[in-house]
Amino acid sequence: MSRSAQHLQEAAEWLTRLQRPEVEETDWLAFDAWLIEPGAKAAYDAVQAIDEEIFQRGSALRGELAEPRRAAAKRAFSIDWRWLGGLGVAGAAAAVALAIAPWGEMLPQADTLYSTARGESRAVQLADGSHIDLNTDSRISVRLEKDARRVTVHDGQALFDVAHDKARPFLISAGDETVRVVGTKFDVRRRDGQLSVTVLRGLVEVSTDGDDTPVRLRPGQMLEHVEGASGVTVTNVSADDQVGWRSGRLIYRDQPLSRIVADMNHYFDRPVRLEGENTAALRFSGVLIVDGQDAMVRRLTSLMPISATPTDDAIVLRGRPSAPN
Amino acid sequence: MSVTDSDKAVLLGLYEEKRANLVRFFAARLGSRAEAEDLVQDLYIRISGMENLGPVDNPSALLHRIGSNLMLDRMRSQKRAGARDNDWRAVNTSTIAGHEVTDEPPADEVVAGRQRLRALVEAVQELPEKTRQAFQLHKLDGHSHAETARRMGISVSTVEKHISSALKTLTRRLR
Repeated sequence: MSRSAQHLQEAAEWLTRLQRPEVEETDWLAFDAWLIEPGAKAAYDAVQAIDEEIFQRGSALRGELAEPRRAAAKRAFSIDWRWLGGLGVAGAAAAVALAIAPWGEMLPQADTLYSTARGESRAVQLADGSHIDLNTDSRISVRLEKDARRVTVHDGQALFDVAHDKARPFLISAGDETVRVVGTKFDVRRRDGQLSVTVLRGLVEVSTDGDDTPVRLRPGQMLEHVEGASGVTVTNVSADDQVGWRSGRLIYRDQPLSRIVADMNHYFDRPVRLEGENTAALRFSGVLIVDGQDAMVRRLTSLMPISATPTDDAIVLRGRPSAPN
Repeated sequence: MSVTDSDKAVLLGLYEEKRANLVRFFAARLGSRAEAEDLVQDLYIRISGMENLGPVDNPSALLHRIGSNLMLDRMRSQKRAGARDNDWRAVNTSTIAGHEVTDEPPADEVVAGRQRLRALVEAVQELPEKTRQAFQLHKLDGHSHAETARRMGISVSTVEKHISSALKTLTRRLR
């Protein structure tokens, strides 16, 4: 190890030692003595400055690290977001442009972070008059700037009701998607690398990085996208179904059990696991009231050909072999 | 025993000599060099106003003791005045939710700040897994060394090794 690397290591060890809850007089005397070594002061000052910076940027850093590593790793960040202004939607007051753009990973600076625990939901009223309902187990950060309102969906699901402000677009980034809003209402979901946007009011324009032809979305349409992949799919949905979570209902039309279980696992600490060859692919249509975990599992077992077995740390669902499905 | 001018002169002389290192010491404790500067300034005022000193075996240790007492006073009064984010208590406090910062720095500073944060994020992500985990639990989630050790199922001294190794790597990459 070079001399300077050696000093840096000793400096880092000293700083860490001095941040123990209890520090003795002898620590000070030994520290003071160590600093006499040539190069020690400069090394320590450098380490301390970084430590202090980590403190100051703590919540922004923490928010960024909460991003999936794959997504945060190698995206160019210094893309001028204003190119979106050329999408041709500026004239339509209630228009929304949704872009799949590399600046989706732009870093938050001086953000406010909002998060919910499992089973919790939260209403957020922003200073600009916009309203955000945050679903269970979700994290978003918000930054209001002079020329833009920026939201990053790190994970989870949120319903946005955006106050109209033409001069200050509302920009939402979720993975590699970015939603540009002037004033409208829509739901954004980001779970396990799957993104979806469902419009309740207003217009949405979608452009994919590398694809010049935008896709236009109307209320009642849902856009789906797999992070990192190219292309989107658009389907007609009941928008109310997509936001049933706000009133404690999960509404499914012909969805695989794996999706329902993934949703449930964002509400409760005790995981539900699937076992058996075809269990995950069993389809379900219906409404699940979100109340207790046991009650939800009981209803699922009565509505579907599955059985539930509690184990020490989980609830295991398994397709019933005699089931006709 | 009253202090003679020469006793006090010795202590003040030593203070001048140790001043910079005292700032370094308390910067680690408080998590802020500026606050440490303040504290060490208070220390000067305190010793220059001292009437009764008693026999001083080890004046350097005395400087540390008075400084530490001032730090505790300061923390207590800050606790009364309401918590602040970047003092040393942040070590023991989670700072994720609800900190709204409304200052809007100039655009070039925003860009520079973002680049800096990006560099920091990348450096943290490239730490070895266990080191990154210990760093995150202690520096970002605000758990003590002991609590971090408990959560990771490793010893406190191993936690400290991970954390100092993280600091060393981050400093080398970002200084």
